[in-house]
Amino acid sequence: MCMELQLGLALPSDPLIIPIKMFDLNSCGYEPGEGLGSNTLSRPLLKLGPSDININNSSSSSPSRSGGSRKRGFDEVQRFDENRIFPKTLPLLLSTNQPNDEHDPNGLEDNSSSAIFKNDGEGLVGWPPVKTWRKKLLLQIPKGGAVNNNRVAAMAENGCRGRASNSTYVKVKMEGIAIARKIDLSVHHSFETLTSTLMGLFDISDENWKGFKLTYQDIEGDWLLAEDVPWRTFIRSSKCLKLIRSRG
Amino acid sequence: MESSELKRSKDSPNSDESAGLSSFPDEVLERVLSLLKSHRDRSFVSLVCKDWYNAERWSRTHVFIGNCYSVSPEIVARRFPNIRSVTLKGKPRFSDFNLVPQNWGADIHAWLVVFAAKYPFLEELRLKRMAISDESLALLAVAFPNFKALSLLSCDGFSTNGLAAIATNCKNLTELDIQENGIDDKGGSWLGCFPESFTSLEVLNFANLTSDINFDALERLVGRCKSMRVLKLNRSISLEQLQRLLVNAPQLAELGTGSFSQELTFRQYKELECTLSNRKNMHTLSGLWEAKGIYLPALYPACTNLTFLNLSYAALQSSELAKLLAHCPRLKRLWVLDTVQDKGLEAIGLNCPLLEELRVFPDDPFGEEIVHGVTEAGFVAVSYGCPRLHYVLYFCQQMTNAAVATVVQNCPDFTHFRLCIMNPGQPDYLTNEPMDEAFGAVVKTCTKLQRLSVSGLLTDLTFEYIGRYAKNLETLSVAFAGSSDWGMQCVLGGCPKLRKLEIRDCPFGNAALLSGLEKYESMRSLWMSACKVTMNGCRLLAREMPRLNVEVMKEDGSDDSQADKVYVYRSIAGPRRDAPPSVLTL
Repeated sequence: MCMELQLGLALPSDPLIIPIKMFDLNSCGYEPGEGLGSNTLSRPLLKLGPSDININNSSSSSPSRSGGSRKRGFDEVQRFDENRIFPKTLPLLLSTNQPNDEHDPNGLEDNSSSAIFKNDGEGLVGWPPVKTWRKKLLLQIPKGGAVNNNRVAAMAENGCRGRASNSTYVKVKMEGIAIARKIDLSVHHSFETLTSTLMGLFDISDENWKGFKLTYQDIEGDWLLAEDVPWRTFIRSSKCLKLIRSRG
Repeated sequence: MESSELKRSKDSPNSDESAGLSSFPDEVLERVLSLLKSHRDRSFVSLVCKDWYNAERWSRTHVFIGNCYSVSPEIVARRFPNIRSVTLKGKPRFSDFNLVPQNWGADIHAWLVVFAAKYPFLEELRLKRMAISDESLALLAVAFPNFKALSLLSCDGFSTNGLAAIATNCKNLTELDIQENGIDDKGGSWLGCFPESFTSLEVLNFANLTSDINFDALERLVGRCKSMRVLKLNRSISLEQLQRLLVNAPQLAELGTGSFSQELTFRQYKELECTLSNRKNMHTLSGLWEAKGIYLPALYPACTNLTFLNLSYAALQSSELAKLLAHCPRLKRLWVLDTVQDKGLEAIGLNCPLLEELRVFPDDPFGEEIVHGVTEAGFVAVSYGCPRLHYVLYFCQQMTNAAVATVVQNCPDFTHFRLCIMNPGQPDYLTNEPMDEAFGAVVKTCTKLQRLSVSGLLTDLTFEYIGRYAKNLETLSVAFAGSSDWGMQCVLGGCPKLRKLEIRDCPFGNAALLSGLEKYESMRSLWMSACKVTMNGCRLLAREMPRLNVEVMKEDGSDDSQADKVYVYRSIAGPRRDAPPSVLTL
């Protein structure tokens, strides 16, 4: 007896039983005689080819435990490097960036071949799952204090919400390291203190520091050398920082 | 209590069962059943026997349709002749995040045409994620003389012209609730379309509209609608204007302010404070766009009896929130932005012992400048102070398994647990482990769990836990998680009450999809996007399960054999005929 659907209401407690046997997907088709149910015999066989079978998956009865199955199909989800120091108070940002790519404002452009992380200029489509109308409404809220209209426009174009708050955390990347860090610029009042913090963050000694230059991306999206500008200019206009190896 | 009433009448002593039931007068049965409000109770009632089925269908006045394509309007009208109130939901939930193509469907118009013919006495229409045009709104406005309540949530396709049609023509309107929609906002003149003789409005929510409103018209409208109890303004309304409106609406139970940042003189501030004081029947407060900390104290006297405070548009700092919450002892539901940080969440734990629902939204989810936001510490702090918490939506940058385990230990009554660690695939940041144990703790401890959203680095183990323990789970959202088909198979094989499963960017393929064959007819819908399902797999599903609609949405430039986005749902209306070219029905 075919029960009319209850129009989105509660269902009968046991699901409808359908007489179909699970088929073996590892064979490229199935024989009608293998008990699939009488209603399927008259139809031609539907063959599943190799592309339909996910060869990476194992529907084994002993599933991998948490530690064992690190293998993920997505190349760019980086594993955390245990050797790296990270203070527990600072959250990390996973960067999908290739280390040498300096001209990537969003830091999220996917150069690998995986189709999973799609990029429409905003990073992943529909992620984080914040409703589009909420994004739009938040974008319209004017910012506090130091933020000027250029930044609002630039952020709006990037799909970034101009924030209602006045935060001073910026992302810091080091050339050659995939994972970015975050620091709070407001606790610094000079390049000296900033430098020593960065050296500590990335574990760079005094001698090695000479081989690096600090660059920053300003409100208009240009990358500049921090040493070329006064501290005040730097602190007001930097959106994110990058340590690059100085050449020659 | 209603079901026990039913049981008594069913067990009443009669000579034999069939004679007993048929000798029970229809009118009495209908009268009794008309007292049943819950649509689940009604569904069970209709299954008892043919007499009860008929009595139920004649006495039903409200119908809830969770998926507009599961049934056709003609079938609904045939079964339920006396409907006065309809609730319809359309697009898959991921359309909120731009994952569903434009023009996907869920257009209300065909329904309205049938309703106009079969339910001319229709009073209420509540739509979620439906497409509704101005033409449809115009039809609605004239076809139903008794029309009272229109609620649109996450809908799109209409403009303020459609609202003007409603305002002009619906003489008995009590509720106009336009929330969170994709509206073409052409200006605020529609408010002036309510006739001067119109006084019945009780609920008015236009908070989502962006343009300036005809304030004089609004002021007059609020002044003459003496029964108004819900008023939610948009950002264009200033504090001064708010003051003028409030003076005319002393009985408001729910208030959504406009912008809360206009420069006020001291006298204006005092006036506002006075107007807001002694609002003992106000239980819901929202809006507070751009709230300036210095004006918040004006709200304090209005907060005494607040049970729902929505601060998700006010970027408050932790101290501002703490001071405000000290005046909100009865708070049950709280929505905030993560600008309040962990300190703000601690304040919640200290001040809101009755809290049942907390939502923490990200202030800047897509920005480059990463703000600190909230962490696991804030989550734990709230859980210590708010043992009654049963609904949480939490966006954060970092989380640990231990923290989640502590949270659910403190709050075992979770029914809705939605955790979004914003970096996809991020592990426990202290131990580097996957977040499997966190969600394991959730499903093991929270036996009443109905809705779960998972995030972070997750292996199949998470889904084993879910399948094994989440016996009351109805809705599951999964993104960037799992290791193999086995994960999804565990869920499909395990959760007996599963109704909605939505998955994106997971390594689940045909084996997983097809393991749910028996399950999908007992579910409302399945969504899978950017997984490893192929067209052949979908075709097989469609072939084996004729009562399911299997729809595939292809992306431009993708491999022909891949099924980029799959939407599967049960239906008694057959495959739909209004799908756009980008949607293939198999």
